[in-house]
Amino acid sequence: MIEAVNLAKHYGAKTAVAGVTFTVKPGMVTGFLGPNGAGKSTTMRMIVGLDKPSAGSVTVNGKPYAKHHDPLRQVGALLDAKAVHTSRSAYNHLLAMAATHNIPRSRVHEVIDMTGLAAVAKKKAGGFSLGMGQRLGIASALLGDPQTLILDEPVNGLDPEGVLWVRNLARHLAGQGKTVFLSSHLMSEMALTADHLIVIGRGRIIADAPIAEILAGSQQAKVRVRTPEAVRLGRLLSGPGVQVQSSENETLEVTGVDSRQIARLALDNGVLVYELTPLTTSLEDAYFDLTKDSVEYHSQEFDDGAEPAAALKGR
Amino acid sequence: MSTTTIPAHSAASGGTGLTFLGVLRSEWIKFRSLRSTQLLLLFTFVAVVGVGTIAAFLRGTIIDQLMKFGAERPSPGAAAGHKLTLDQAISAANAQGINIYGIPIAGLQLGILVLGALAVLLIASEFGTGMIRSTMTAVPKRLPTFFAKAIVLVVVSYVLTLVAAFVTFLVSIPILHGYGIDMSLGRDGVVYSIFMGGVYVAGVALAGLSLGTLIRSSAGGIIVLVALFFLLEIATSLLGLVPGDFWKYVGQYIPSVAGGRMLEIGDKAAFISPLSGGLIFLGWIVLVTVPAIISLKTRDV
Repeated sequence: MIEAVNLAKHYGAKTAVAGVTFTVKPGMVTGFLGPNGAGKSTTMRMIVGLDKPSAGSVTVNGKPYAKHHDPLRQVGALLDAKAVHTSRSAYNHLLAMAATHNIPRSRVHEVIDMTGLAAVAKKKAGGFSLGMGQRLGIASALLGDPQTLILDEPVNGLDPEGVLWVRNLARHLAGQGKTVFLSSHLMSEMALTADHLIVIGRGRIIADAPIAEILAGSQQAKVRVRTPEAVRLGRLLSGPGVQVQSSENETLEVTGVDSRQIARLALDNGVLVYELTPLTTSLEDAYFDLTKDSVEYHSQEFDDGAEPAAALKGR
Repeated sequence: MSTTTIPAHSAASGGTGLTFLGVLRSEWIKFRSLRSTQLLLLFTFVAVVGVGTIAAFLRGTIIDQLMKFGAERPSPGAAAGHKLTLDQAISAANAQGINIYGIPIAGLQLGILVLGALAVLLIASEFGTGMIRSTMTAVPKRLPTFFAKAIVLVVVSYVLTLVAAFVTFLVSIPILHGYGIDMSLGRDGVVYSIFMGGVYVAGVALAGLSLGTLIRSSAGGIIVLVALFFLLEIATSLLGLVPGDFWKYVGQYIPSVAGGRMLEIGDKAAFISPLSGGLIFLGWIVLVTVPAIISLKTRDV
């Protein structure tokens, strides 16, 4: 269980995290989604005390992380695959990490086998590929068999097999009743792994809901209508709460009324309709929709043109 | 990372939680598991013994020359230009800072340079590689890590210097015997210098660790360390050229000179005693250690 209350981080005049409040519950995978620079990593770093919050507070399993007498058993964190001394072997790195909590050597071998590092465990970590470094980071996070797992971009650089493994691991641990909090900027990955989503943009929480709800509620369902009398049907459809767009000839995209109502209206007015397709929202659409709104809203507030806004507007 | 392996709950994964002894063991594993550290320690040992051996030859030769040709400056009980007895030659050399008892730690300057740099690297390289984030996630209170590193460093540099000094002492016995000088643990100051040399090196190592913690950069930390323990001495010796007695005393308070005084029990004329030299040296260490601790506790990593 992770609970953040008005958690904020400022670097000088720049705001990385602008007072977020959220709860990450045990027994499910919670995705932390946002564009690069949205404040995901900073938030995660504050959870384990690497960064001190400028305001607000965050607790893990009821206490600030540093107050636990066995931090690695409470939280396993992969925050940065490069958080390793480049000249030390993976095995010695894990051994040193384990020693702090008197975790036995057998557990070190266990996590090495688990993450498929056995063949390279005695090699210097500096020579590892991004994927191997990621595996070492995950091995390190699993050392204390923690109640809460925090993974920042865990699938970065992993091969398809590794991606699948991380997904299964996250689901398996959540199934055991553990808290799993993982960040990504990949919407597709989140759709497959997470039960619950927290979406962050420019340091603010934009959405905090079950994934199904985000898919359903983010955008009103859209219906594509093809008809030779597009202009006339469009005029007939227009009304409060209804939006009609026309991107090509004889085609309308209608929001605010469902396909049944459109068909009824067309029949009553004798308009020929030769296609009527409800368009489902993908998580990707939902995500762009959410972050776009937040960017538009915030760009009036901050004029420094920070990178997330610029990146999204460029799309 | 096979798709079928799923972490098993194992009874062995327990661990008793975070303890200082565990952190100490962790830091020891980190210390010994770097090839560069092992090489630097070996180099330090060879350098301290090597320089000590050369010093034994040089000092033996000088005393031999003094016996054959006499001192240029009169020493107690002998006129200039006259042949000296062995004891007179030794005390004449001593008056010029060329002592016998200090031979075991004659190579100390190299020792502090290398071990001091190693101490800076011990933490600055963690900042450089990102390892510090793993370390501080495992030990979120942070300070136990600093103290564990300090203990590892102090013990290693003291023991290494002690052993190197003792080996140098053993090597110097036959060399000095060749000049008719009797080197033994019974000689005034020999035991003292063998045991005190390590204190000086350990102190410099602590300063190095603190500078590495404060500056967080290997290169920057080593530069400041060298400035503090080597360049400052050169700078203050230039101050001695300024008229007025005051400037001549300033130089005695800088870390390397004060620390050097701590090692000397001889009759070399100096403003401060070995004990106050030691205390001044300690003061310098505290002066860099306290800000380092505050910085480590409060700054983001």
